[in-house]
Amino acid sequence: MKTLHRLLLGLVIAFCLGPLGFSQTPTAPAATPAPAPAAAPKAISEADLANAPVPTPDARTKGDADGSQTGTASDITVSDAKKGITIGDLANQVGQNKIAINFVWTLITGFLVMFMQLGFALLETGLARAKNANHTMMMNLVVYGVGILAYWLIGFSIQMGGVGAIANLGGTPPLNAEHVITLFGKPFGLFGQHGLFLMHKGTYDVGVMVLFLFQMVFMDTGATIPTGAAAERWKFSAFIVTSFLFAAFTYPLFANWAWGGGWLSNLGANFGLGKGYVDFAGSGVVHAVGGLSALAIAMILGPRIGKFTRNGRPQAILAHDIVIVLTGCLILAFGWFGFNPGSTLGASGNGGLRIGSIAVNTMLASATGLLAAMLYMWIVYRKPDASMTGNGFLAGLVAITAPCAFVNPVGAVLIGLLAGVLVCISVSFVERVLKIDDPVGAVSVHGVCGIWGVISVGLFADGKSNYGGSWNGVNGSVTGLFYGDASQLVAQLLGVATLVGFVFVMSFVFGFVIDLLVGQRVSAKSELQGLDLPEMGAVAYPEFELKAEM
Amino acid sequence: MLILIGILVTLLGFLISLFSLTLSSSVGGRFALVVVGLCVSLFGIIGLLNKQYIKNAIWKKG
Repeated sequence: MKTLHRLLLGLVIAFCLGPLGFSQTPTAPAATPAPAPAAAPKAISEADLANAPVPTPDARTKGDADGSQTGTASDITVSDAKKGITIGDLANQVGQNKIAINFVWTLITGFLVMFMQLGFALLETGLARAKNANHTMMMNLVVYGVGILAYWLIGFSIQMGGVGAIANLGGTPPLNAEHVITLFGKPFGLFGQHGLFLMHKGTYDVGVMVLFLFQMVFMDTGATIPTGAAAERWKFSAFIVTSFLFAAFTYPLFANWAWGGGWLSNLGANFGLGKGYVDFAGSGVVHAVGGLSALAIAMILGPRIGKFTRNGRPQAILAHDIVIVLTGCLILAFGWFGFNPGSTLGASGNGGLRIGSIAVNTMLASATGLLAAMLYMWIVYRKPDASMTGNGFLAGLVAITAPCAFVNPVGAVLIGLLAGVLVCISVSFVERVLKIDDPVGAVSVHGVCGIWGVISVGLFADGKSNYGGSWNGVNGSVTGLFYGDASQLVAQLLGVATLVGFVFVMSFVFGFVIDLLVGQRVSAKSELQGLDLPEMGAVAYPEFELKAEM
Repeated sequence: MLILIGILVTLLGFLISLFSLTLSSSVGGRFALVVVGLCVSLFGIIGLLNKQYIKNAIWKKG
């Protein structure tokens, strides 16, 4: 037996050390071939193109099972059939391929963002009570149609009418008229002027159409945020007017200042503040604008009946379907892979290959946001609350939206982690201290964590990104405080001050006027009955027995 | 009336932040002014506007 053990031990040692010894055995250096004399680069000639091997028509009729005969020189569009392929034809085809890649990328990611509407609809409807399910779902559907119309009529023009050349989409030259005033001796872009109805001043253009679709679904993501905070008590007609104003004016104005060539984006060029206000995919532009509008509307509406006791103590009003809440969260996370990587507006050229890094950062921040919120709830309230875990998931995504293109994976993990904790603290603060009823936590997830995302660019941007050598007209990479540029943080904070001090006020004034004119809140009787019958004329679940509150 | 004051104070905060661009040329000075502006805006929202709405909240009416 002992011999057998020794034999086995010897075999194991030999097995372990064998490769080591082998790897350490000096080997004769491989004979390195002498470097060939550098040949002068040979310019491609028209003759080379004429002689490019192409499949014969005969061969093509037999089918191309292995794919080797499809997509060859014979597929290049020629300008003159008599001449055959020229270098000019080839160059044009390369250019068109680049723009085609970018168009397809931007459109498909835009379709993913559109799919997020479903995520919001499920999330908000699940968190509402069953007696309001039809009403909540309808708000999420109708905001899409109202938003598209308002944005097509005027919103897109205000936001992007003066954006200028977007190289990734072929230049978008018709969008070249920004209304500019002079303030503090510098030009301040306020709103765009071209693009009304997508017909005005040459904007019936292929590149403009792609940009419109992508920007429209972003705007609609913002527009659907207030429906959550105002759920279960918002008059349907007031909701429609509010959504129209949001899509036509509130969102486009701030989006112009940040993305459309407006004054915030030029803080770097005009005032030496970093690369200007930087918000890659919209923590501020989409989420904080939506979250602050939600705050304004929730304040005006007041809390649902039964949310607070007479001494102001908050009461839990339970979600009616946590399954669709979490399904909605996962759909949103899937759509976010369109939201963030798609904001490059292309995969080819100008740093488009960072899409992988952007997608991974998005994924990492969502994971840490989710885990942080779950652990926070588990430690503080003894249970890993499902809806707050979902909110932490979204908080991480919201926060990474602005910095995703400028931070490294460690930065993304930290940003998501802090967002997950922040959203739990904020939900509690909004409810217990501010006494504001926000049934889905929209103010905290989108408003507070959106602002955190904007600030985090000014802290964590690592200066390693390169999107065509400059950002907002300032050479170099976006660099935050932790990597040596404190002025970027100031630009970000000025963006936050604009969101809190201007965008909130604009939303509040719109909401206040609508309240005076048509009333924002349903009657107490409708609210107690549930909004499905009095507002929509039908309940969502006719077979359920719903109990009205007394 | 208090709502109007709340709106004006919130806007004032934004203007303080905006004017940091001309009132100071140093990064630290601008940072300080922007933070002051933010605090003023938050006071306008939380301390004035929200307080006014809470005063007439539905749960206080019984």
